[in-house]
Amino acid sequence: MGNIMSSSFAPECTELKTKYDDCFNEWYSEKFLKGKSVENECSKEWYAYSTCIDAALVKQGIKPALDEARKEAPFENGASCKVLKKVRTNIDIELGAFIIIK
Amino acid sequence: MKLFQNTSNFEYPWEQVSTANWNKYPNEVSTHVIAVDVLRRELSKTDPNVLITERLITVKQGVPKWIMYLIGAGDNTSYVREVSTVNKKDKTLVLKSCNLTMCNILKVFETVKYSPHPMDPINKTLFEQEAQITAYGGSLGRICSKMEDWSINRFCENAKKGKIGFESVLKEFHEKLKSKVDDLDLDLDLDLDLDFDLSSTSNLIVNKMNDAMEDVKSTATSMFKETEKKCSILSDYYDLFIDTFEKDLHQQKN
Repeated sequence: MGNIMSSSFAPECTELKTKYDDCFNEWYSEKFLKGKSVENECSKEWYAYSTCIDAALVKQGIKPALDEARKEAPFENGASCKVLKKVRTNIDIELGAFIIIK
Repeated sequence: MKLFQNTSNFEYPWEQVSTANWNKYPNEVSTHVIAVDVLRRELSKTDPNVLITERLITVKQGVPKWIMYLIGAGDNTSYVREVSTVNKKDKTLVLKSCNLTMCNILKVFETVKYSPHPMDPINKTLFEQEAQITAYGGSLGRICSKMEDWSINRFCENAKKGKIGFESVLKEFHEKLKSKVDDLDLDLDLDLDLDFDLSSTSNLIVNKMNDAMEDVKSTATSMFKETEKKCSILSDYYDLFIDTFEKDLHQQKN
């Protein structure tokens, strides 16, 4: 769409990111939403960009925190948080105890 | 734990909102967001209508000195991980995000949902936002509560900024879409024998026509309302005008 693209957290990846974003935006609005494509295209641009990003995540020390978050809220199920469940369990225990006392 | 909730509307169709979401940053209002990266993006293996995207959002914003002191941080750059799920069949876009920085001290879970507005699903999008803010600190209960309060306030401010900022992106996006249609329209006039996707072009033209009709309609309605208002003001004062006018005439005659 020719919009001003955001830059990458790693300046060395910004150019590759712009190329990928351009390709993705076109695919998303013209193909995916219109039901013309069931495949995520732009694989060439994606490979170049993600290789750059993966290296930068390690270099800048973001990777450990990211891995932790990925464990807590996995990508596969759309990142539904586990902490919520933890809170729920506490309430359940309290409720359980309450019922037992009663 | 504190909870923040917010609901509002965008005056654009869901398709446009979900497309603009990928270009939400940078915008002139949410200047605290300095970078957005895609870490992983896949079509769901079980449902080809579902696209999942993991993004890293880099934020630079002022954190109170006492919080910085407490956590021994020197830099005010922080990272947020966001996982978004687009379901093009149900027309929903759900974004779930959580801070990566300081997350052992303060955790902000945000869930945002964009869906067609139930009252006007074709033209409007409903925006629902919820954030859970938890400060961990065991015995430091009061400090935690203070940190939660500060975070809630900051979240509230940023939510407002987010809305205004996204509006500006949507507007720009909408105008670009329109000008693209104009270009295509022109192309169609000039090179009729050019080989391009006629169905999508005609679709765009129909949309453009609809937009134009909508504009005309809304302008006409507002003009009509305006006229009506003026008329009613005039009619209110009609007798007074006539009176004054007649008095004037009378005086002039004498």
